[in-house]
Amino acid sequence: MNILLRLQLFFQITGHYASYFLAYIFETIFFLIFVFVSLIAMIYLFRKYMARLQLRYGPNRVGKFGSLQLIADAIKLVGKESILPKLRDDFAYKTAPYIVFIGLVVGFILIPYGDFYWIGSLTITHSDVSLILFFGAIAMMPIGEILAGISSHNKYALLGAMRGVAKDVSFEVPMMLSAIALVMMDSAVNKTPLEFSSLVSTQFIPFGILQPLGLFVFMVAMIARSSYTPFDLSESDSEIVSGYSTEYSGMRFGLFYMGMFGSIFLGSLVISLLYLGGYNGPYSSYAGFIYLLIKGLIMVLISFLIWLSMPRIRIDRFVNFGWKILLPIAIINLIWAGFLTLGVIS
Amino acid sequence: MIEVKEPKRIPFVGMLQGMFTVFKHLFKKPITVQYPEEKAYTPPRFKFRIFLSMDDCVGCTLCEQVCPNLSIRMIVVERNNPHNKRNLYPQVNFGTCTVCRNCEEICPTEAIYLTHELETARTRNNFFYSPQELEKTEEEVKK
Ligand code: SF4
Ligand code: SF4
Repeated sequence: MNILLRLQLFFQITGHYASYFLAYIFETIFFLIFVFVSLIAMIYLFRKYMARLQLRYGPNRVGKFGSLQLIADAIKLVGKESILPKLRDDFAYKTAPYIVFIGLVVGFILIPYGDFYWIGSLTITHSDVSLILFFGAIAMMPIGEILAGISSHNKYALLGAMRGVAKDVSFEVPMMLSAIALVMMDSAVNKTPLEFSSLVSTQFIPFGILQPLGLFVFMVAMIARSSYTPFDLSESDSEIVSGYSTEYSGMRFGLFYMGMFGSIFLGSLVISLLYLGGYNGPYSSYAGFIYLLIKGLIMVLISFLIWLSMPRIRIDRFVNFGWKILLPIAIINLIWAGFLTLGVIS
Repeated sequence: MIEVKEPKRIPFVGMLQGMFTVFKHLFKKPITVQYPEEKAYTPPRFKFRIFLSMDDCVGCTLCEQVCPNLSIRMIVVERNNPHNKRNLYPQVNFGTCTVCRNCEEICPTEAIYLTHELETARTRNNFFYSPQELEKTEEEVKK
């Protein structure tokens, strides 16, 4: 029993098609609320955690412990004037933030969230190939970034977008290869190895223990995808101002900002699904969602720790790192996964 | 040419050490001083605002002459003071005063002196303190 079916039962008086229609709409609304709330919570957590690691207090003025600070900031961001550059490519300029944000939302939709007490399964979209769809969805985000960079008619924005795309290309390949290693292991036992939930269900021992190299590669690639330090090449403040989002202001910039924090959360959820056992745990048929959330949050905190303690890498070293170090490691990991799979079958 | 041999390093160990160093800060107390509520430590020899004892001032204008920033200007204040026949008293501009304490050094009667008074910020259009204001504490001047 998932949310969609419950909502459909609730709207059943309106007829078959209308009830499904309403159920989908309400589910989308719930879901967008979930994404917004979790992003706001993430940004609050980030600011508090960052402040504590730097021996500061962080937000503590608005509301109790500064808990309303983020809402105040959001209102400020919405109220800001949106300044448009004169020589922009209008359509591309205006759609770019939405492409990034929609890529993020689609990524969130495809994740299986597990069960949560009386609500039942929280998974929003069921698909037999959700892993591939997920990679497709997050591959949409660089398109938005490069559109933003080109259409701003600003050298620095263009440079930032180019660097961002170079980074995305060089890290997508190792990421895919390490994911393929998982699919290989899963395909030995399951008929639907391209689905997140079947990947989770085969993890009696988390894949992260079986394939530590794969976990490493995937995590580095996810950090690079979300483009925060040490991989924030596309928006290094000192060399290229603020990257592809230089010319953006107001709510459009807010969407880019949320895209960044959202992809940290999304990446952490995916790492915990693929490598750390996802929503498995004691009594996971009731509280799977909580396990997933806890694992995701721990990954988020580790990412923030990495963010705060590492310097930025130069671009050539960085791309070299992707192609010359991570890719061979990913291939070694693939071979290792092959041995493991043979072991499972025989 | 001298060759410098770098010690062999294991990759990523340095990064992990750095991360651990940063992580340890989580369990320490923040060092931020929440300024208006908490006051930071001011050393006892720290001096800021100039005070004046109008009864002691003899109007010798030495402080005006010694001030390197021309912050002190003598003005006439009608007052019954037998030592000060010309009725000249210093008026200090805190916008340019650099707290050099030359005026305090030179004053023959120790009429002008600096104290611990801090936080003179408020909304007004000039930084001149009249002799009467120089006699009062900051709290009284604000009223
Ligand atoms: S404050 Fe001291 S130095 Fe200045 S005029 Fe008065 S007596 Fe002279
Ligand atoms: S402290 Fe120095 S700068 Fe300030 S009024 Fe006295 S002599 Fe002038």
